[in-house]
Amino acid sequence: MGTKRKITGRYFLKVIVGLLVVGVALSMGFGMTIAQPPEVKIGVIYPLSGPVAHAGKMSKDAVALCVDYINNKYPDLPIPIGNWEGIPGLNGAKIKLIFADHRGEPDRGADLAKKLILDDKVVGICGCYHSSVTKTVSTVCEKYKIPMINPESTSPVLTKRGYKWFFRATPHDRIFVRDFFEFLELLTQGKVSGVKAVPKEEIDEIGVCTENTEWGAGTRNVIKEFAKKYGYKIVSDVIYAHESPDLTAEVRRLLAPKPETLMFASYISDAILLTKTMKEFKAKANIFWSQDVGFYQPKYMETFGPAINGILNRTVFSKKLFAVKPVAKYINVEFKKRSGVDFMGTSARAFTGMQAWAYVLNKAGSTDPEAIRKAAETIEIPGKELIVPWKGIKFENVGGETNQNTWSSGLIVQYQAQQPEIIYPLDVATAKFIYPWPGLK
Amino acid sequence: MEMLLSTTISALQMGLLFALVALGLAIIFGVMNIVNFAHGEFLMIGMYTAFLTATVLSVEPLLTLPIAAMVGFLLGIASYYMLIRYLLKGPMIAQLLGTFGLMIFLRYLAMCIFGPDYKTLEHGWLIGKSIKWGPVLLSYPRLGTAVLSLMAFGIIYWLMDYTRFGKALKATALDVEAASYMGIDTENMRGLAWGLGGATVGIAGALLMNFYYVFPTIGMLFCMIAFATVALGGFGSIKGAFLAGLIMGLIIDLGGTYVGPQYKLALVYLTFFLVVAIRPKGLFGW
Amino acid sequence: MQIRTLKDALSFGDLPASERIGFILFIIFCLIFPWIIKGGFAQAVMVQFLVFCLYGLGWNLIGGYGGQVALGQAKNVGMSAYTVALLMVRWDISFWASTPLGVIEATIESFILGYFLFRLRGHYFAIATIAVSLVWQQLFINWNFVGGARGIELPLREPPNFIYMRFDSDIYYHYFAFLLVMLAILYMNWFRKSKLGYQLRAITSNEDVAESLGINAHWVKVKAYCITGVFAGMGGAFYTVYYGYIDPFSVMHLELSIMIALMTMIGGAGSMWGPIIGAMILIPLDRYLGAWLGGRGIIGVDFMIYAMMVMIISAYEPRGIWGIIEKARRKR
Repeated sequence: MGTKRKITGRYFLKVIVGLLVVGVALSMGFGMTIAQPPEVKIGVIYPLSGPVAHAGKMSKDAVALCVDYINNKYPDLPIPIGNWEGIPGLNGAKIKLIFADHRGEPDRGADLAKKLILDDKVVGICGCYHSSVTKTVSTVCEKYKIPMINPESTSPVLTKRGYKWFFRATPHDRIFVRDFFEFLELLTQGKVSGVKAVPKEEIDEIGVCTENTEWGAGTRNVIKEFAKKYGYKIVSDVIYAHESPDLTAEVRRLLAPKPETLMFASYISDAILLTKTMKEFKAKANIFWSQDVGFYQPKYMETFGPAINGILNRTVFSKKLFAVKPVAKYINVEFKKRSGVDFMGTSARAFTGMQAWAYVLNKAGSTDPEAIRKAAETIEIPGKELIVPWKGIKFENVGGETNQNTWSSGLIVQYQAQQPEIIYPLDVATAKFIYPWPGLK
Repeated sequence: MEMLLSTTISALQMGLLFALVALGLAIIFGVMNIVNFAHGEFLMIGMYTAFLTATVLSVEPLLTLPIAAMVGFLLGIASYYMLIRYLLKGPMIAQLLGTFGLMIFLRYLAMCIFGPDYKTLEHGWLIGKSIKWGPVLLSYPRLGTAVLSLMAFGIIYWLMDYTRFGKALKATALDVEAASYMGIDTENMRGLAWGLGGATVGIAGALLMNFYYVFPTIGMLFCMIAFATVALGGFGSIKGAFLAGLIMGLIIDLGGTYVGPQYKLALVYLTFFLVVAIRPKGLFGW
Repeated sequence: MQIRTLKDALSFGDLPASERIGFILFIIFCLIFPWIIKGGFAQAVMVQFLVFCLYGLGWNLIGGYGGQVALGQAKNVGMSAYTVALLMVRWDISFWASTPLGVIEATIESFILGYFLFRLRGHYFAIATIAVSLVWQQLFINWNFVGGARGIELPLREPPNFIYMRFDSDIYYHYFAFLLVMLAILYMNWFRKSKLGYQLRAITSNEDVAESLGINAHWVKVKAYCITGVFAGMGGAFYTVYYGYIDPFSVMHLELSIMIALMTMIGGAGSMWGPIIGAMILIPLDRYLGAWLGGRGIIGVDFMIYAMMVMIISAYEPRGIWGIIEKARRKR
């Protein structure tokens, strides 16, 4: 018995030691990084797998394209970064991107941010699409004092937390929703091209339909707030579960009080199902407005073809911009070649976010986090060097918000002949507004 | 009133689909007392089969039903002979978690092959069409789904009650040992029960493809509704699954319309919980 | 009586020498880990590992020793995490005061549920726990007071802050989590020698016989389920301060419950070290392989490996890796 026990003891010891050795080896192996000077590393966290991986992939491609432009010589590129060949302010150091996949899980995002900051020694973070993941990742960045530029999360809360190391380039949901109500006001004043003044009674009964995760719930609150402020009535208010098996009850409830203006906030899967169900219901309203994301994706457009004409979207980008922004057209050709799709709201913002990173690094002239933060706080990137139709990029603290890009602005586009035509702001409008919404044909 | 009428009608249509999804689960549980957590994934594979057949061969989506049924059948048989057979020898915890493993495996296999994108079918005899019948809106894909699922129920009912196979299956379910003394090949009967379960859920998937989108993690949602349905109807009861499916449809649609859409899933799960807690054998359970 | 309890908890004398050595090595490894491994990600994975050890040890009590497949651990985790977060955010109550409340909350919930649900047996119980956790998740998604789908975020505080558990470095969290795991292990060590432990195992092997011996099976199961709730509650409280943000999708998700059960199952349900072995394999697999593959755009391979392991183990050795080790031991 004694010897038997000894042998098993040794056997078990071996197993444990083996496991430990493997564990240690794994952690060291993955923890090691190979340093290659003149290089400046930026961590990019996106949902590369999981339910919204397609959005993550588009963003990844856009970011990679931007870095290619910065690192290599593209003399034909109509914006300065084509001639940079690395970051001039850092003696031509090349940007190296390290991608990480958060799968839409906030805790995984936070762990990966630690990996990027502590193990890969990145100088900054870019990402993360989901507002919830952006929350935990920005908290990690704030803890370790590493700057983070967020190109696309639109939850208004993010810049209200007083974080010093978090910068947001995109306009947020408050700005988008405010723009829309401004647009409705212009419509009643008859200033929108293509329509005579619309009496307010024709559009003031609003039906709101939002999904129930962080983003939808936030948008709904903002819509309610502005509806009150501008004197509109919310006649039906529907919240549905993301990825529902059936949205018939939701659509029925939404349409029952016959709303005149419909407002949506949906991810792609729900947007498809909602549109299909509304089509079956032969839904009618005067205005159909949706919040980018689900309703503004190549997949959505190809699914429904001409049926979606007349739907309004808030976004920051449209192909129609090419007329006024040749640089966007030029870059879009290359983007389509590499990733197979045109720039849309999300990918264009990811491109812009990475561009902002390059400008900030250039201005900082150092990889010291404090210097980078100072540079980001004072940077002013002119709009003509961006692919998005903004005044530019300038991070400011206004109205209880910190480091929000106040030079950014939204667009309102309307699908016309399967193309998103710009309707608002009026000065960059590319087409006449179609009123009322023709319905889903 | 009009709203109530149209809600009830669409609820019953959806209910028939839920019943069909739940049917396979009920058969499997009835025959060998095992809960198949991978059932939703079987549905997902049925949907992908329909989607691929319809797009690659560009055939009418309704004609993909037999292919989806075939794939579902083979999947069920394969799961039984490669995994479930061994699980049945182990303790209950291994049975539950083993089918969980199968669920995760199938789900991420689909993720690997098809990617995480949402896929929909856009062309077909029924897709996107509807008719207004008085105040009631009838959507063709749902109506077609309801009719076909009713037919599927009819066939299964006939199979179970009026054929030798059905009788053998019932005998296996009641008492495996006695059945094997009677000369019934119980092992193959169990395999066939899995095949039958897979086939019905494959058909449900192909029908669902007419008005729904498919993506790799879709299974969980329908699996939970199917569980609730089976729990309500009674594990192992075909009649129960049918009635409970209709009730589930009513809960989802009436609850969604009158209580609030955000609570409709909570209502389903609550019913599920109450049934399991108060009357575990359900309406028609054995 | 108390001294006896303490002695039972601290004494590992009845275990074979190999297990004692393994345990000591585990302690040493955890103690020196932050000093020998400097990787930030490795540290984060280690903390995750410890948290899952805690969940697994708790689940093992009801799922392993008790043989009851409870798939609602996530709701206990979430319940406690939400209580702690709410108290800390809304009323500025310190972590040390809100954690006991969170744990009590999770325990009471377990008690009430256990009281009603343990009338069910086998599959019915498993399915009922799933239903309950889904109902809770749906309610939390739609309940505005707790932030609804938007979740709750803890405000940043000047680190190091021991009152609200805000630290710069993961080392603090590592040791705190390690302390919790050690307490859990000591508790389990006491538990397996306690009356409750023997009663529970008697019920697992044959409930009717146990009842005829005068064991109140229902009551014993409820007690064990409450203790499981305590473990999950502690894990939830820790999760809240560690990540500083919770929402119904991260702490109340059914997948978390499943993950906990599968992990314990792979390691070896119903054995002392099973949950730890399970976590030791699955957490690094999940995080490292996930990070490595995700960066390369390969999706789902890590889950497939994990699922294969689960299927093979449940088909051939339901007692998990620990079962294999014991089998090998017996052969010698």
